[in-house]
Formats: sequence, structure tokens, C-alpha cells
Amino acid sequence: MRFLALASRHRVMIILGLTLIISALAVPGYFSASTLGLGLDRAATIGLIAIGLTVLLVAGQIDLSGGAVFALAGIMSVILQREIGILPAAFVGILVGMLAGAINGALVVGLKVNSLVLTLATMLIFRSLAHWITNSQPVTGTDIMLSLAFAKIHLEIFTIRSALFIVLIVLLHVWLTRTIPGRNVFAVGSNPAAAKESGIASDRIVFLGFVFAGTLAGLAGVLQSLVTNTGSPVFGSELTVAVIAAVVVGGTRLEGGKGSALGTLGGVLTIGSLTIAMEFQSVPAYVQQVVSGLILILLVVLDRAVTTKGRAPGTGPALIRDNPITQGGNT
Amino acid sequence: MTDAAMETSGANRNDRFTRGSRLADVLSKAGLGFAILAVVLYGSFVSPAFFTTGNLLNVLTSMSIVGIVVVGMTFVLVAGGLADLSVPATIACGAILSLGLQPMIGPVPAFVLAVALAGLIGLLNGVLVGYVGINPIIATLGIGTIGLGIVQAAVGGVIVYGNNPASAEFAKGRLFGVPVVVLIFLLIALIGHIVLSRSFWGRWTLATGGNYSAAEASAVPVEAVKAGAFVITALASGVSGGLLGLTLQSARPLIGAGYEFSAITAVVVGGVSIIGGFGSVPRAIAGLIFVQLLTNVMVLDGVRTAIQGFVLGILIVGAVGMDAALRKRGVA
Repeated sequence: MRFLALASRHRVMIILGLTLIISALAVPGYFSASTLGLGLDRAATIGLIAIGLTVLLVAGQIDLSGGAVFALAGIMSVILQREIGILPAAFVGILVGMLAGAINGALVVGLKVNSLVLTLATMLIFRSLAHWITNSQPVTGTDIMLSLAFAKIHLEIFTIRSALFIVLIVLLHVWLTRTIPGRNVFAVGSNPAAAKESGIASDRIVFLGFVFAGTLAGLAGVLQSLVTNTGSPVFGSELTVAVIAAVVVGGTRLEGGKGSALGTLGGVLTIGSLTIAMEFQSVPAYVQQVVSGLILILLVVLDRAVTTKGRAPGTGPALIRDNPITQGGNT
Repeated sequence: MTDAAMETSGANRNDRFTRGSRLADVLSKAGLGFAILAVVLYGSFVSPAFFTTGNLLNVLTSMSIVGIVVVGMTFVLVAGGLADLSVPATIACGAILSLGLQPMIGPVPAFVLAVALAGLIGLLNGVLVGYVGINPIIATLGIGTIGLGIVQAAVGGVIVYGNNPASAEFAKGRLFGVPVVVLIFLLIALIGHIVLSRSFWGRWTLATGGNYSAAEASAVPVEAVKAGAFVITALASGVSGGLLGLTLQSARPLIGAGYEFSAITAVVVGGVSIIGGFGSVPRAIAGLIFVQLLTNVMVLDGVRTAIQGFVLGILIVGAVGMDAALRKRGVA
């Protein structure tokens, strides 16, 4: 059991290392700078959403609407290009993400309902809005050259997108570990009632967590749309499992109160390198989905087995539990 | 129940709606009936096509396919299992396999095997949620992705067509003027209702969803009850998928997309508590009738699919919010 616990603590490194070794064996030339750069760029989309989700999961909440917000923000940033120019349109796209997050947060905090079910509903709403606005057709932007600028690789390995992701994850790490608001997020996630008693504004932190997650999903969607010069209402529909898997690989607990930015970085890199390896081997998309689903389930089960032995399910304080009776307050 | 009895029945958790104001009581019991009536009135006002036998039969048939899933989903919600997101995968499993296996083993064994394999997906969900204690949404999302991927891989990601006219004839046929699919739905709904409201398993399900620790302390096999709810949903979805495949005589891997939302919407709009412990099959079916009629009227009215999804999403948020509000009132 001690070995298991040790392995569990360093599992991000172990899983990432194993993934890289297996990928390198299967794909010739895997460790070239261009392959890694490409992988990092692909991982950045998952990564940006994962940054927001890390904070939310630590605070004991979850957001399933990220993929839909991703599509909606991307569409707005492309559709408005003709009217107000590229930069303002991108800005509006991010604002849309922020607004979507604020709606999620306000409803969860205001109605005191389970964030899983609520964001499931808002996911449907945001996705419908995306279809509504675009008439279910992909929309294209005005400047095709812009995508080339975004795809350009700097310093041999970074694109604008992946550099942004790395910078943000470092900032998140500093924020979560070195600042008081960062620490408060952990307090809220591990025991919201106790956090409230000790003077932490739990509701506000949860609300801002949703805003943060929405903003980052919006940012990821805007960047994706700019890179492809296209906004589509079906963008991001397959992202949910991959993003949750990335965050969970990184050791962030679904029950809240535990998690780290560097873990998420490791998880995102793992999912990214795995995706690239499978794409190079032309594995069909549905097999890739099976793999990310399996990773998710295996890790959640492993996490259960190592960290909660002997504890009855549903006795903990966090908002997300297998027994949701503790949610929504005073039943 | 008399008014006096209503006031004093606060100790019974399942009567939470009757503990609060009279208004909440009336709203929860008759509100949906009025809503259905309003939709019917509006529908017959807006479109002359609404009150035709053909249209109503269409509504009834499509309602039956979702309805079979709704019966299962009721068990998941009542047992406190939040929701089963693997429904699209189990429906696809039922549809693709019951068509794809026909040439090899015949229509009836193919259908049975398809439903059984769908049940297997439910068993995996159940074990993960009930026994391992994983969050239901994550578990069913993951298992659903895996299951759908495997089914897609099995048929190479293409569309499967049926080649047994007799089975198609049966699925599209009528008995005493009623479509067979509707009869199967009614049968399943009846069984579901009896199990949930009259059997020990139903009492256990309500108890587990109502108060997990208390049910566990009263020697209810809470883990099995929770796991069972997911198996029931998966079996129901498998049957629903099989019927869908037989009716359409073709099955794509994404055939079940959206059914999980339709089912959840119906159950939640029907007033089944999202946190478990309260609800019944007739309530869920009332919700289903309302949502289906509303969708039908929107279609006849020429409202676009995207807007329909938007309206359904708002309905879920509203219903969940109302559940939370009534819960609070019940305690106060």
C-alpha cells in the first residue's frame, strides 16, 4: 500500500514518462522538435480549458459546459470580425466565455444546485445558442493569413498558443501555492461550511471560479477559431472527456480540496503526447476516445483505491460526492 | 389525504411538497397537468395539423422510444445517482448490434444479445458508482465514451442497415390499432411503476436516494440498489435502441445522441428530485408528455432545432431551480 501511495503521489511523472517512452517506440522521430512543438500546440487547447477546470475542481465544483463555451466564444470572435475588426472581436469572444461562466456561477450559487447537473443544462443551452447564431453552419473569418501567424513556431518549439498556456499554468501555480486567495480555494473545496465559518466568502470564490473557467474556455475557443479561421457550432464536443481526464491525470481530485497546477501541466502533456502519437499512427478517432475514456476511469478508480480506503462514501464535506444529498445545503 | 394530515406529515420525507405552503402543493401536483393542457390548447390553436391522428400517433411513437429510457432514468435519479450520461452509447449499442447481428443469429437472439450487452455497460457503470463510489457523471461519461468507441470500432464507424423485413414489420406494426412500440413502452412503464412504488426494491431505491447513511444503517443494500439503477437504465436504453434501430432499419453510431438530455429533461420537469429520494414513474411520464408535446408544437410552429434545444435547456434549469426552491421551503 505504501508503494501504491508513493506511486500515486508521483503518478503524473510516471504516467507522462511511460507515455513518452511508448510513443517514442511506436512513432519514429517522435522526439524531434517539430513533433513536440505540434503536440504542445494541440495540447494547449485542452490545457487552457484544463487550467480553469483545475481551479473549479479544487473548489469542489465542476463545469461540463466548457466545450460548448469553447464553440460559442470561437463563433463570436469570427462572426464579429467583419463588423468590428479582428482584435475587438477576439476580445468579445473572451467576454462571451466570461459571461457564460458568470451565468453558470450565478445559477449554482444562487439556486444552490449541483454544478454537474446545472452545467449539463447550460451546456445544452450554450451549444444550442451556437447552432442558433450560425444556423448550424461553420463560419469563416476575414483574414486567412492570421492563422499562419498563429501557427508559426517560435524558438523551435512554441506557438503563441502553447506559450500562453505555459505562462498561464506557471501563473496559476504561483497563485494557488503562494497567495492567500489561492489557498482559500483549497479551503472552500475541502470543507465549504468550515471555510465559511472561518470568514472565507465561499460563494464568491465558487462564483469567481466559474467565471475563471468560462473565461479560459472562451480564450481557448477564440484562439482555436483564429488558428483555423473558422468558427463551428460542433467545435469542442469531444473535449469534455479529454479535459477532465487531463486534470484528473494531474492528481486533482473530483471531490475538491486537492490539486495542483503542475499536476495539470503533466496531465495535459500526457493527453497531448498520447493524442499526437495516436494521430501519427492514424488510429481512428473513436479508438482515441476509448483510450482517453479508459485513462479517465482507470485513474479515478486508482485514486479511490489509494486515497479513500476505509472511508464510507458520502461522509466527506465536499460539494461533489457520489452521494449528493450533502449538496444544496440543508436537507 | 386531508388538510390536517398534510400539515402534520412533516416527518415523512417523501411528502416534502406538502409541508410548505398550499401554493407549492397545488403547483407540484396539478401544475404539470395545467402545463400539458396549455400546450395542447396552444398547439391546436397554432397548427391545424396538431390534432390529427397521424401527428398524435407520431408524437406517441417518438415519445415511447424516449419514454423507455425515461423509466430507467427515473430509477437513477430517485436512487441519488444524478444522471446516466452513457445513454447515447447504450442506445447505439442496442440499435447497431440488434441490426448488425441479425444475419448471423436471427432477429430475436440479436435483439436479446444487444440488450444484454447494453446491460453490461450499465453493470460497469453500476459497479463504478455503487461499489467503487465514483461520481456518477464522470463514471457514465467515461464508460459511455469507451462503450461508444468499442461499438463504433466493431462496425468500423459506418452505418448498419437491417436486412430482416419481418422484424421491421413487427417493430413498425400495430396491435389493436396501437403501434407495437407504444405497447412495449406502456408495458415497461407499468412494470417500472409497480417496481418503484409497490416493491421492496422501490422502497430501497427511495430510501437510498433519500438518506444514504440512514438507509445503509437500516440494512438496505445501498450499493446494490445504486448499481441496480444504472443496470435498469442501461437495459431500458438497450431496448429503446433496439426498437429504434428496427423501426428505422438503419443505425449510425451517433443514433442515441441527445437522448440522455431528453430523458433527463423529462424526469426533472416531471418533478423527480435531482438529489434523489423523491419521484415516481407517472410523474416522469407526465414530464415526458409535456416536453414531447412542447417539442411537437415547436416543430409544427417551424421553430428551429437549435432554439428547441435552447428551450429544453432553460426548462431543465427552471425545473432544477424549482426543485431547490421547494426543497428549501419543505425544510422551513
